[in-house]
Amino acid sequence: MGRYIAKRLLSLIPVLFGVSVIVFFLVRLIPGSALQMYMGTQVEASPAQMEELKRIFGEDRPVPVLYLEWLGRLLQGDFGVSLRTGRPVLPDIASRLPLSLELTLMALFLALLIGIPQGIFASLGRRPFWDLANRVIGLLGLSLPQFWLAALMVLAFSGFRGWIPMGNFVSFAANPLRNIQMLLLPSLAIGIGLAAVIMRYTRNSMLEVLQMDYIRTARAKGLTRRVVILRHALKNAILPVITVAGFNTGYLLGGAIVIEEVFALPGMGRLALYAIYQRDYPVIQGIVLVIATLFVLVNLLTDLIYALVDPRIRLDSGGKH
Amino acid sequence: MKRLTVLLLALLALALIPATGAFAAPAEKVITIGVDQEAVGLDPHIVTAFSSHRRLDLLYNRLVRIDDSMAIVSDLAESWDNPTNTVYVFHLRKGVKFHNGREMTSDDVVYSLNRVLDPKTASPGRSYIATVTAIEAVDKYTVKLTLSGPLPSLLDGLSSNNLAIVAKEVVEANGNLQKVEAGTGPFMLKEWVADNSMTLVKNPNYFEKGAPAVDKVIFRVIPEQASLLAGVRSGELDMATINDGAIIRQAAKDAKVTVMSKPGLNMRIFSFNTSRKPFDDVRVRQAVSLALDAPEILTIAEFGMGKVTGPLPIAATKWALAPSSLPFTGPDVEQAKGLLAKAGFPNGFTVKITCSSTYEGGLAVAQVAQDELKKIGIKAELEVVEWGVYIDKWVKRDFDTMIELRGGSPEPDRFLYRTFHSTGGVNNFLFKDAAVDGLLESGRSQTSYADRKVTYDKLQYLLSDRAPAVFLYCPNENQVLSKRLSGFKLVGNGSLYYLTSTDVKP
Repeated sequence: MGRYIAKRLLSLIPVLFGVSVIVFFLVRLIPGSALQMYMGTQVEASPAQMEELKRIFGEDRPVPVLYLEWLGRLLQGDFGVSLRTGRPVLPDIASRLPLSLELTLMALFLALLIGIPQGIFASLGRRPFWDLANRVIGLLGLSLPQFWLAALMVLAFSGFRGWIPMGNFVSFAANPLRNIQMLLLPSLAIGIGLAAVIMRYTRNSMLEVLQMDYIRTARAKGLTRRVVILRHALKNAILPVITVAGFNTGYLLGGAIVIEEVFALPGMGRLALYAIYQRDYPVIQGIVLVIATLFVLVNLLTDLIYALVDPRIRLDSGGKH
Repeated sequence: MKRLTVLLLALLALALIPATGAFAAPAEKVITIGVDQEAVGLDPHIVTAFSSHRRLDLLYNRLVRIDDSMAIVSDLAESWDNPTNTVYVFHLRKGVKFHNGREMTSDDVVYSLNRVLDPKTASPGRSYIATVTAIEAVDKYTVKLTLSGPLPSLLDGLSSNNLAIVAKEVVEANGNLQKVEAGTGPFMLKEWVADNSMTLVKNPNYFEKGAPAVDKVIFRVIPEQASLLAGVRSGELDMATINDGAIIRQAAKDAKVTVMSKPGLNMRIFSFNTSRKPFDDVRVRQAVSLALDAPEILTIAEFGMGKVTGPLPIAATKWALAPSSLPFTGPDVEQAKGLLAKAGFPNGFTVKITCSSTYEGGLAVAQVAQDELKKIGIKAELEVVEWGVYIDKWVKRDFDTMIELRGGSPEPDRFLYRTFHSTGGVNNFLFKDAAVDGLLESGRSQTSYADRKVTYDKLQYLLSDRAPAVFLYCPNENQVLSKRLSGFKLVGNGSLYYLTSTDVKP
């Protein structure tokens, strides 16, 4: 297990290197440079001033040279300085990351909380209420874009004190209750899509497992329906669901970008959004690297959980069977 | 199943717990103001963002400032003389303290203005005082500026936040002032949580006696305009800066809030690239100018929240002529068609209007203009681009026509010279006209108001006639206020300076 983890962590190096190359050159291909965005359409500057500004914004040297310089500093742990605010990039990201992670985890939790029970009930035959709930979640989750749902939530709940953050976000450490209350709607907006996916996977997987002989045996032994479903059927049916949930967690992090803007939450997503608007290259690069790292780590974690849940899988002996 | 239900109920209960502390009676007077954009940084000599300037209004003072009637009034300079048209002498207030407790003197003015002039600072304020050749501290409370030539817009330039007076030692200790402040203003920076909130506290030593009236001003960043209004309605905010005309109209009907609106200094224009065919022909530009119906555009695109304008922002009442008194301010479809025919386009032509979906980018304006141009046979295609692409095209002058929002000024020289002089820094119409250049230069060399007024009246006629752009309207500056506030005044440049005299009922 230890060797497997080490191997996977080592694989981070080429991944991050590749990502760094792509993001560095790609952001510079977008029309409009950081300096242009900074100057806007209102400010005039003398030629001497423009020279100085070009130097400050690093637009006086070729991009490959800039890349090598940036990479050099990156290897020493220096992510550079924001072109817009003049602040170091890494502390800014670090201060925003906890909120985005909390949002992602809450979204995942809500997705599982809604998706798995719904999937189980859906697999147990027709019941009018659960059927309706099933369809509503499926419809909302799969067909409504997150940002639209989020905007509707803001409209519907903005009269409710404390439900919609009004630039008065409080961290979990400062006031856990208020923090969770504020994040409930945003994480629901992010998580409901995954909830629908999980629901479908759980349902299909349960339907398959419930057909199996060992389930019939368990019933024949006289076990209660509840025990059969929760202990015998779900244990096997849950495996594909873990895979799906794991691989989607990275995308939840991406969903946080849009949702944070709609709900005015000061997370990493909003930092990324404004960095892109302003062509603040060092910040965009930093955030993309952090997200890439998280993506790899989440996938690793998924594989580890998979191995724990399914005893047939041995990670060290050459991967999955 | 049962456990699941319990869990769900617990979660629901959690969400229903009312916000703790939100109802506690405040022991101090606080104004909470909602804004849609976070400040980019706080260094007054560096920042360009509107959102940053609104914080600087409260943190710093300048030598002079603009009051709510757009007049230049005393700020840190108690008075000033103008012995010749190239020398200005400022007499500073005595006993003004920086937020760190040190007294502000003429040395600080010299340091601040030199910092702006230093190319290394790359200050946007430099162009306002670029012709200043010497800044001297005559004594502890007197500063003398010498100019290479007359610059009637100097005082107006000095009223900009980009020329705020800062404390040298704080700049030197921090490298720049993006995260800290070194001002003398009515409020001091206490806490800044980026993208969330900024808390300012009262400056107990502020030079204006009895001001500020409140203990704290809290800025909260809420990007959604509808949420801003909801915030004022629910009492979570005392005030909100709202741009969206639809939301303002909604607020105006609401008895719970007060809406303050007045035409600002920004100006919506329809720009031509005068170096591109067919807009190199003045008759084509005049035809477009006649085809565009500014009041209609204002009504549809801006919900009527603004005022139709000529080449000078209509709020600059000392200078601006009413658009109805200027040539080619339409709408007159027949005359426009005639002009197009004379220019060789009896059947019109096809053209691109570059715009962006941000507010500044004027997509709604472009849509109305597209419709109006159809009436004279011009087929306009909208080129709707992302804001960064828009700026890129603007900088490279890569457009046929463009919808723009220009930042005007109460001082005609400062706005018109850089915009329409053939060497002007933001003349991206690539407009070259000897008569316009001549008037701009004489306006700059004259000093008496009467002489200058004659020059700028002529210039306004000429600019409407030559039409490097079609001048449409000035959008309103809007604030939505709770009924608890009193004493706030709007300034046409959007300044929040009057929060200094604003009081709040408990």
